[in-house]
Amino acid sequence: MRRVHLCFLWWWLALIAALLDIWPACSDQHASQRGHELFQQNCAMCHEASNLDLKKQPPKLEGLFQRKALPSGAPATDAQVRKTIINGIGTMPSFQGRLSDEDVNNLVEYLHQLN
Amino acid sequence: MGSRKIFGVCLVFACIIAACKHGSRRYQLRGQVLDKNLAKNEITVDHESIPGFMPAMTMPYKVKDPAVVQEVEPGDKIAAEVVVAEGGNDNWLENIRITAKSGRNTTKVPAPPKALAVGERVPNISLINQDGKTIHLDGFKGKALLLTFIYTRCPMPNFCPRLSSQFAKIHEDLAKTPGTYAKTHLLTVSFDPKYDTAPVLRRYGLAYLNNDASGFAQWDFASAAPADLRKLADAFGLVYFEQDNQIAHSMDIVLISPQEKIVKYWATEWTTAELEDALRTEATAKSTRQMARAGGMK
Repeated sequence: MRRVHLCFLWWWLALIAALLDIWPACSDQHASQRGHELFQQNCAMCHEASNLDLKKQPPKLEGLFQRKALPSGAPATDAQVRKTIINGIGTMPSFQGRLSDEDVNNLVEYLHQLN
Repeated sequence: MGSRKIFGVCLVFACIIAACKHGSRRYQLRGQVLDKNLAKNEITVDHESIPGFMPAMTMPYKVKDPAVVQEVEPGDKIAAEVVVAEGGNDNWLENIRITAKSGRNTTKVPAPPKALAVGERVPNISLINQDGKTIHLDGFKGKALLLTFIYTRCPMPNFCPRLSSQFAKIHEDLAKTPGTYAKTHLLTVSFDPKYDTAPVLRRYGLAYLNNDASGFAQWDFASAAPADLRKLADAFGLVYFEQDNQIAHSMDIVLISPQEKIVKYWATEWTTAELEDALRTEATAKSTRQMARAGGMK
């Protein structure tokens, strides 16, 4: 009987360990999925469009974090991208009041995967 | 953001329906009709987010089939295709299906105020420009003035950013002819004074002036106290209101003569060249009194 209990104990421990192991990946995936939605709703209309009647064509954002610098010349860091989204830069509008901190984090997570 | 709606009422036709549909894109729209305008053949729709095109918002759309405008009523829920012409500067609705007849209008779009008529004198309204200095709307006597309204956080490339880009092109062109340049002035007024403070407007303006602050001498970016801004908007028939921390607005460009009288409005369709030509013509046209004097001297 004791042996059966030990078996169950090991089984539960293995399950918990597995869940703990995959939990961060699930969380990242959720953030990225939400980031993708936010990107489509807020960014794609400029950054994915072409030949807009604008003074400056918005840059494409694929591989943003693989570059040494952002299109503005600032370092390609999470903090700088967050700042750009919140405050705007050049002709890019500020998204202050439109996106929450969580939204911005999800967007940054998605931009990391946009290759 | 999905539950957060940007309510934008932009009483504008995006452009002339492109004859060539090559390269056009199509998006699925779902929303509720709030208003319809038979004369303009458009309906105002409070729609859900359209991934890849625009966030959830309220705005008017041209309709391909005029019979549909007759058929739909405010309150109806619809599904439709948004067709975006090549280049993204024109869009309209096609294949509209009424998915639910409700007959109830849930959101009230404010009626546009009665604008000053062409020929009427502009009001004396105080504004604060990008340098924090007070300027007056009737302080541009002797110059042809082209005025428009924006807010710097506007995320729609076809609306405020497009207007500022067009003004930037006009400014660059005018600067090439110093004689005419000196007789003109551009004025961009923000209806978001809470966010668009003088430093924000200065930063925004510099982005459209190639970082050359000397351009502010001929192009002011200004805002005003909320009460003054409302007076100004009413004078020119501009609709704007805050909703969900965003600003819904119509579009308006006004040409004012060197005699401080309204010459022309643009609210639906225009081109940069058309605006620039009108401004140049007004700047170089002799006033009636000057012409009468010249005629008497002959």
